[in-house]
Amino acid sequence: MESKDEIEAQIARVATGDRDAFQRLYSSVSAKLFGVLLRVLNDRAEAEDALQNVFVKIWHKAGSYRANGLSPMTWLITIARNEAIDRLRRRRRQGEGMDEAALVADASPGPEETVMQKSDRSRLLACFEELEAARAEAVRRAYLQGETYAELAERFDVPLNTMRTWLRRSLLKLRECLSR
Amino acid sequence: MSDADQPDREEDMILAGEYALGLLSADEAAAFEARLSREPELRAHYAAWAEDFARLAEEAPPETPPTNVLAEIRTRLFRQERPPSLLARIGWPRIAVGLGAVAVLAAVVFVNSNVFDPGPVRPLDPGFVAQVEAEDGSLVVSAAYDTVSGALFVDRQTGAARPGRDLELWLLAGEDPPVSLGVLPDASRVELPVPDDLRERLQDGVLAISDEPEGGSPTGQPTGDVLAAGPITNT
Repeated sequence: MESKDEIEAQIARVATGDRDAFQRLYSSVSAKLFGVLLRVLNDRAEAEDALQNVFVKIWHKAGSYRANGLSPMTWLITIARNEAIDRLRRRRRQGEGMDEAALVADASPGPEETVMQKSDRSRLLACFEELEAARAEAVRRAYLQGETYAELAERFDVPLNTMRTWLRRSLLKLRECLSR
Repeated sequence: MSDADQPDREEDMILAGEYALGLLSADEAAAFEARLSREPELRAHYAAWAEDFARLAEEAPPETPPTNVLAEIRTRLFRQERPPSLLARIGWPRIAVGLGAVAVLAAVVFVNSNVFDPGPVRPLDPGFVAQVEAEDGSLVVSAAYDTVSGALFVDRQTGAARPGRDLELWLLAGEDPPVSLGVLPDASRVELPVPDDLRERLQDGVLAISDEPEGGSPTGQPTGDVLAAGPITNT
């Protein structure tokens, strides 16, 4: 994994239409993004297809990267996550039902991770630990499976408004914990 | 910052989290995005959540993708070649010729030859719209569905059929075989009647345009390359 600054510089060059930089960026981050897509989609063929779309989007959106204030890796992961969630939601609309397999909590770090990312993540996971298990699970499902309030309410067998209240309170608690 | 501002800031912080998780409705998300562009504080809230939640995604171990993926991406971005199967990529399997033949629809297209008639005009308040575009921008067709008349207004803004060939418009809904909505005429604008049984299936569908023999596909299913596609969206 390249450093944050290197990835940022590659994105900046991609924004100018530099195809070599695009290839370097692909070499730097495709394994990470493919891992994210596999985790969310739990389907190798679809993850490969999604990865194509993700890099087509990266090519077209690189120019707007600076405007959003995200770190480069977060910007890239968010594009991948959103592509995967769109696909999951389309799959569910087509009636395949919920994808259960993809959400096993797995905190094992990837081999290429930097120390910085590890500490950020352990801080986040520690704050998730402070939530009630079901509420932490709801937040994770929203992010990693794209589940809506209605789907979460059904899964946890509570009224929609209760689900909304739970989740919003969980966000408040998470932010308080993360700001400590 | 007075105490009175606190609840709003807290509400914005929570709202930004809901947005980052994708929990807002389409309307709520659009309103949030409009605010994002002009409120730095809201952008900071969103960025904080995006950073935190991205760490959740990073639980996934990295995995090197197969080598052909980069080649396919480069083809899509940098070459003028048509992608092999746009239908497959957007999630609809290409149906073998014959399977979908029951879905054959007569493609009746009226070509207006009167040059003084402006021809069909875009409905003022369409129920659904779609932008049907080729990857390389060589074919761009805008479509708008008039809920009242049940007609699909189609405006071919860029590109045309190859000589001796026709462009055919398809509706892809769910996992069903594509259904023809008609052959696009030489005139750039046309209104295509949408059969009653298809109207409610426009929502969440995809429009696609394929290259077909003159007069349209002989089989009732796309036979040529799929040149352009675009999702149908609510207005």
